[in-house]
Amino acid sequence: MIPHHYLKSQAFTRGFRMLLAIAIFVGVTLGGVVQVSAGDSPDAARIAVRAGKVLTMDKADVVYNNAVILINNGKIERVGAASKIRIPHGYRVIDALDRWVVPGLVDCHNHTAGSLMDLNDMVYLTNPGLRTLETVMPESENVKQGRAGGVTSVLLIPGSGTNMSGFGTITKMGGDTVDDMVMRSPGSLKIAQAGNPERYWFGVGRSYMNYNTRQTLMKAKTYHESWKAFESGDSSHEPDYNPIYDGFRGLFSRDYPVSVHTQMYQVLMTTVDMLTKKLKLRTVLDHCTFDAFKVAPQVLKTDAYTINGPRQYWFDRSQRKMNGNAARWWQGGVHKLGINTDAPVIPQEELPFQAAMACWYGWQTYPALRGLTRIPAEALMVDKRVGTIEVGKDADLGIWTGNPIDPRSSCELTIIDGRIVYDAAVRRRF
Amino acid sequence: MTARNSVIWCGLIALSLCGSAALATPPAKLALQGGRIIPVVGDEIASGTILIENGKITAIGEKVDIPFDAMVVDVTGRVLFPGMVDAHSSRGLDVPNEQLPVTPFLDVFDALDPSKLYFEDALRDGITSIHVIVDNNCVIGGVSRVVHPIGLTPDEMTQDVQTSLKLSVAPKRRSDRMVQMATLRETFLELSDYLGDLAETKYEESLEDKDEKIDVGPEEARARGRKLIRSVDYDDKHANLVKLTGGQLGAFVYCETGGDVGRAIRLAKDNGFFDRMTFVLGAACYKAVEEIKATTRPVILGPELIHRERNELTGEIIETFVPKVFADARIKFSLLPHPDGSLGERYLNYQAARCVRNGVTRKKALASITINPAKALGMNDRIGSLQVGKIANIVVFSGDPLDFNSWVDQVYINGIRAYTRDTDVRLKRLFGEETSEVPSGDEKEKVDNEVSVKDSVDQKKPTVTTSEKAGTEKKVTDESKQGS
Repeated sequence: MIPHHYLKSQAFTRGFRMLLAIAIFVGVTLGGVVQVSAGDSPDAARIAVRAGKVLTMDKADVVYNNAVILINNGKIERVGAASKIRIPHGYRVIDALDRWVVPGLVDCHNHTAGSLMDLNDMVYLTNPGLRTLETVMPESENVKQGRAGGVTSVLLIPGSGTNMSGFGTITKMGGDTVDDMVMRSPGSLKIAQAGNPERYWFGVGRSYMNYNTRQTLMKAKTYHESWKAFESGDSSHEPDYNPIYDGFRGLFSRDYPVSVHTQMYQVLMTTVDMLTKKLKLRTVLDHCTFDAFKVAPQVLKTDAYTINGPRQYWFDRSQRKMNGNAARWWQGGVHKLGINTDAPVIPQEELPFQAAMACWYGWQTYPALRGLTRIPAEALMVDKRVGTIEVGKDADLGIWTGNPIDPRSSCELTIIDGRIVYDAAVRRRF
Repeated sequence: MTARNSVIWCGLIALSLCGSAALATPPAKLALQGGRIIPVVGDEIASGTILIENGKITAIGEKVDIPFDAMVVDVTGRVLFPGMVDAHSSRGLDVPNEQLPVTPFLDVFDALDPSKLYFEDALRDGITSIHVIVDNNCVIGGVSRVVHPIGLTPDEMTQDVQTSLKLSVAPKRRSDRMVQMATLRETFLELSDYLGDLAETKYEESLEDKDEKIDVGPEEARARGRKLIRSVDYDDKHANLVKLTGGQLGAFVYCETGGDVGRAIRLAKDNGFFDRMTFVLGAACYKAVEEIKATTRPVILGPELIHRERNELTGEIIETFVPKVFADARIKFSLLPHPDGSLGERYLNYQAARCVRNGVTRKKALASITINPAKALGMNDRIGSLQVGKIANIVVFSGDPLDFNSWVDQVYINGIRAYTRDTDVRLKRLFGEETSEVPSGDEKEKVDNEVSVKDSVDQKKPTVTTSEKAGTEKKVTDESKQGS
């Protein structure tokens, strides 16, 4: 086992990496005029993993004991029982016979693009047109930490200081350039309802915030519809190009979702009513904490995804009762339920701990594993590529000493797009 | 799970069912039999029956033919009273007012929180209709709606949408009366400018299809264009003001002092909403009682019923019991519950009882918490009294509503049993199982002394909301730690 990629990046001095980061930043902001490449050639195109247990996390919930996964050219070529798959010649074999292999974990809510300075541009209550793509830093410490914890795909979103803080970016947790990393941009539109925006804009109530957010979205929708009418020939009038609202077109054609910082009953209810029901947006409800689980009946009537965390319990003072948030959502029938970290609020590598805590407060282990893999991938509409171990999907895997949700387990090896990006045997992080 | 826990759980489920009761269909026919009926409009019936069919009252009297298929509820010894009406409340919102002074484009829909304990308390206190409207700290607030305190979403709770706009002639905080009035004038002037421009634009648009372009001059163009405007042409900022000046929206106008009343009347007459105006009055407004009477517009009195003013020469405090002044002037008024849930004034029937103590007749006092607010909301054809044809919003009291030893035993909304004291988990937790215990006669004697009344209130119904309030605040702090 030669963790070639990892060794290579170790060869860089700290100063060189800093320069690289600046160069990449300049390169990106100049629109790719400066080409930056760390020049990592994927020589390990073909890998075979012999695993003690494989959780495919697919729709049939298939679990293989004593299995083989073949990886070819960054994709999963075959997966199945060891007795049925013969490892062809030329494959580098990774022996993990006492290990669990699970899909690379997916987090819908991460703020570690760029530095904390880049978290929020608090100009107006709604700031359409901003994008985290401009702040993505490849091979940052956050990225390395995350993949050492088995996390392979994340949605990098701006903060929730304003009601609408810009577009997020879905990236892999590995890659030497921004282009290498990015899975989709825009990954989602970030909206924050109540809570934080109230803190920064003292005196603004929910009635004005909701009105204002709705107005911004309606302007964007009108823009989208006038273009649609022009493109389909229904209108001969060519609308003016507007760089601020152009990014919303995919939102209204449901190519990507809106991710909403939303918590507490009234706020989440408004999210579902305004964004999911009335504006018909593909919605990912993030946080969903405090007494938000009471909105379950409304959420069930929609196609929204619920991604709970990082706060895992709510103490109901009126009833003097502890409520596990995820458990209550699950009990309310919401099964499109995932878990997030809000990294760096909770470090990215502690994503499975969030699930562990959700289980401690009454959720179940297997649905929780699904909430770290397939569900967030579906929520972000990248489930054709990641979230499960299935033939044809990206070879994003974590090789664990046991169940990832068990806090005693550790991730020993992480593979992204068929490349080993972390190997505890070479240099252990945790 | 311990036995106690399971009891709490069952109760909680029952309570949460209260919430979803709005979705449930009422039993087709229901008869409340054997109670004393105080219909507010019409004579009291010592022992009678109310028949409810499909959520409406279809018969009421000493003897009512009960259909064979009606569910009969025995309310012998109880008192049937109309569900009380809160004509002006911002307690269902996250903040009483926005910071912006002029916000006619807002709707309370966006901030209404059905999970607020306030609604649960309103039900427990026998209030079945609540006019949710922004508070008085505004110039022009948003549109209001009338809700009942059950339902999981504002839509489920709503009885009447887009009922009124809130205006205040008393200064918004950190402003003064001249600025307040100037802002109001400016808003309506800007509206008329906007409408003129819109009319001209519409007229010009109508000429586009015609070959002949005749310049008719701006006056004529506006007159012609005005007829071409459709309701969808108004932008958000002006649509509700157009409705207000056109009489399609009510106006709840807040006056703080007697002097404000005249300004409110002039503002309403100048801008065409006088016929839809309702006064929301601070205690000091009793000084303009004759002026108010002459308008014949509905009057809502603030929760502070006593006006206190210091005689600067003698240092004496002059106290005036405000509702008595209005009653003596033969003005029909509505009372409001106090927003501070820890006071006896929180209960509407307590407010009415205070009126009786201060010389207002029982009939007028009862009307001021039921039919009068219903009339102020323009809903007296549907709510506010127990009459055939009205919505079956009924409170079953354990005794006379003005006796403060009476409890709300049951509440019916649209003919659905929305509350029963037997299954009220929070009351049980506070008082144990024996909530029906009547305090001794001594405490009844104390009713004359206001301070003691509060004390006895506190003993009997220690407020449920205070601790919850603290909890809510804490919640926000917790959340702020949450970060981005």
